[in-house]
Amino acid sequence: MDPSPIPYYPVNEFGPLMKGLVIGGVGILHVFLAQFAIGGGMLLYYFERLAQAGVPDTRKFVDGYFKVLVLVSFVVGALTGVAMWFTTIQVGARTIGIMLDEFHWLWATEWVWFAIEIVAGYAFYRFGPQLDDKTRRRLLLIYAGASWMSLFWINGILAWQLTPGGWLDGGGMWAGFFNPSFWPSLLFRTAVAATLGALVACVVINTMDLERAAKAALIRRASRFAAPMALMPVFAAWFMAVIPADSRQWLMGGSMPMTMFVGVAAAASTLIGGYVVVGLIVKKLYINGATATMLLALAFGATAAGEFVREGARKPYTVRGVLYSTSMTPDEVTQLRKDGAVTKDPYPLRDEARYPTAQLRHGAKVHRALCDACHTVHGANALVELTRTWTDDQMRLNVSKLQRTKGFMPPFAGNAADVEALVQFLRWETAGAPASWPISDTPETLAQIATWLDEVGTAPMGDAR
Amino acid sequence: MWPFSGEGPALWLALYLLTFALHAVFVSYVLAGTAYAFVQSLRRADDAIAERVRDRLPFMLGCGITAGVAPLLFLQLLYQKRFYTANLLMGPRWGAVVPALIIGFYALYLAKAKVSLRVRRLALATGTLCFLFVAWSWTEIDQLMQADAVWRDMYAAGKRIYGASAIYPRLLLWLGAMLSLFAIVASWWASGPERRKLAVLGLIGRAVSVGAALLLVAAGGATDGNAHGWLYLLVAALAVEAAGWVWMIRAPDGPGLTLVTGAGAAALVCATVVREAPRLALIEPARPEALEAAGFPVFAATFVLGVAVIAWIWRAISDAKT
Ligand code: HEC
Ligand code: HEM
Repeated sequence: MDPSPIPYYPVNEFGPLMKGLVIGGVGILHVFLAQFAIGGGMLLYYFERLAQAGVPDTRKFVDGYFKVLVLVSFVVGALTGVAMWFTTIQVGARTIGIMLDEFHWLWATEWVWFAIEIVAGYAFYRFGPQLDDKTRRRLLLIYAGASWMSLFWINGILAWQLTPGGWLDGGGMWAGFFNPSFWPSLLFRTAVAATLGALVACVVINTMDLERAAKAALIRRASRFAAPMALMPVFAAWFMAVIPADSRQWLMGGSMPMTMFVGVAAAASTLIGGYVVVGLIVKKLYINGATATMLLALAFGATAAGEFVREGARKPYTVRGVLYSTSMTPDEVTQLRKDGAVTKDPYPLRDEARYPTAQLRHGAKVHRALCDACHTVHGANALVELTRTWTDDQMRLNVSKLQRTKGFMPPFAGNAADVEALVQFLRWETAGAPASWPISDTPETLAQIATWLDEVGTAPMGDAR
Repeated sequence: MWPFSGEGPALWLALYLLTFALHAVFVSYVLAGTAYAFVQSLRRADDAIAERVRDRLPFMLGCGITAGVAPLLFLQLLYQKRFYTANLLMGPRWGAVVPALIIGFYALYLAKAKVSLRVRRLALATGTLCFLFVAWSWTEIDQLMQADAVWRDMYAAGKRIYGASAIYPRLLLWLGAMLSLFAIVASWWASGPERRKLAVLGLIGRAVSVGAALLLVAAGGATDGNAHGWLYLLVAALAVEAAGWVWMIRAPDGPGLTLVTGAGAAALVCATVVREAPRLALIEPARPEALEAAGFPVFAATFVLGVAVIAWIWRAISDAKT
């Protein structure tokens, strides 16, 4: 019996929408809402203190704006969190399983903070107007503190995926939790949270029934919350400095899409930060609803780009050094080179009847097991398009030496017959899936592929950290 | 002690069972409460119970979701591969649980707002349907994760609904239990004739569950004998609970409710164990990484702190109300 059999899961193909986009989409919405809830909580606490110090209109703001905040963070934040979990299972069940095995007590800890956040938030929402000043202050402090604590815990677990740090050397869970990118990510996300809180506040203040001067006074106070934006380049640079060298290289030019996402995030943040710091804080300009909404949209764009960067930077791993995006460990790749990529996969194809030959069926299964995590056949990041102009031998070579074709792909986890079946499958798809297709299994071809596979070995391009 | 003697650490199983029972209380209030308010709105008999229920539903749903996350965590330690497989097999249909909950949540807010009766009916009907869908989905995934034999064919056929014959009686069993649990919780905020009415609902709920249990056995639903005697404890708790309901009908503001609550809580705990019994043999051998995971002291300390903070909040708002 195998020492540790590979857990095979039934793979769902998401049509032309690549899995990364699926998880990216849910993730962006969730991160945006959750970070806003944190920043909003801190802002409310600040405004409540102002109200209790007698600053005009601030009480009106707290009791009005809060309803929105609670409604949004309460439910949609929580539910998109659950949705994140389910989507992660869809995209990489084994990844979330490993994270859960390692960190379940911390996740349970986060859950307690979340429960506190919900109760404090609801209590304030429901009974706020009837409570005395001291209780109001305390409730808001609990709400803001608890929501930031949820971030604290989840941030460590997510950062671990990209930079497991001392955990890889047997340093244990805490070394994994307080990993190299823990602090820059935490500070970065806290700054983003405060900024989102400030921007939403500016939108809300504009809708309030107040004199313009009164609104301007409130906006000036709210925009102070966006001041940490000025530090974001520092946190971003710190983050870039601690991530693995190969990840850094493709964020900074190695991969065009990734570099563009980094650029979008940086540009949008600079615009927001510049406007807030120079316009609102230094020059004390007024910001109207439309501008505030536009800045918020920019912030959404920056969040979106940032999440893609976070997802993309991990490639070819989902947990650096431990698990590839294909849900295989480096040791298993070595094993599958001998055993074949899909020999033990218990799940048949959903569309068996479509394929004229057994080799094409085999190729489709290899694609499902080894490429589907990041590519589609015809849709986003389509293999048919990426390989259209290549000759057969060029394709055989590039697939065999996958980790050298692009450093952010894992080594090919199969044998020569698997490579050839995959090549034939892609050629057949490129040709428009004709009703008949020749078998290609001459010993010379397979021997050549085997040589290439041996030459390139099974080591990935980047170091484990 | 059985059931804490199997493969995985007993702690995971115990926390799973406890938090699942808590989850059941909240979602019972949500599903049965929404349905109750809907029926009352159809009958134009907008009683005080329905009004209170509508007011509390969104918060209760928030609690139900939060309370659901904890058993979700421990379930994945105990039955990781099974749960993920069932999840993937159900695919987008499983994913639909989340939008259904979001829609249901906004419907609850709408039902509580000052709207016309027509809108309120529509909102409550929508909420009821959404939560029914969610309950059905959980029953499906619970059964599918135990049915290794069908996984391969279900995947090949691209089927998203498992639909084994045991699913519907099982769901009915739950719906009955949910009505009774709702009646228990709602009774604490009611008095006099309202309690009488809730007591009748509580009894009806139990009758439905007993009937459904018989159907379930007939449909070949998984049972595990008497679950080492827990089944007898369950039956005893239910008998005491029934006596409590009758007492409550006779003397609504007497100690009947305390009896019902105690016996109902005992019945819930016994029922979660009986429910788990057929699945215990499927618990996966604990993975070494999971067994060795650090952090339990942090969780335990945070948990104690959390209980204290929530108790403080509870007191603060109770003071404010009085
Ligand atoms: C970890 C994710 C990942 C996996 C798994 C993966 N790829 Fe890729 N691959 C990428 C990315 C990202 C690119 C870059 C796309 C671009 O530049 O537009 C890429 C590019 C390619 C290219 C184009 C290379 C070039 O130089 O133009 C080919 C061909 C390709 N992949 C084939 C495959 C095949 C075949 C498999 C399965 C055996 C596979 N990939 C598995 C992420 C992956
Ligand atoms: C109104 C919304 C909900 C309703 C009506 C509901 C109902 C149910 C029911 C009836 C079951 C039992 C299934 C069975 O034994 O056959 C169940 C189980 C469960 N629910 Fe919920 N649920 C809701 C929301 C949630 C949410 C949001 C979560 C997670 C965040 C959740 C987590 C769980 C878990 C983990 C189980 C145990 C499954 C198992 O052991 O197989 N539930 N739920």
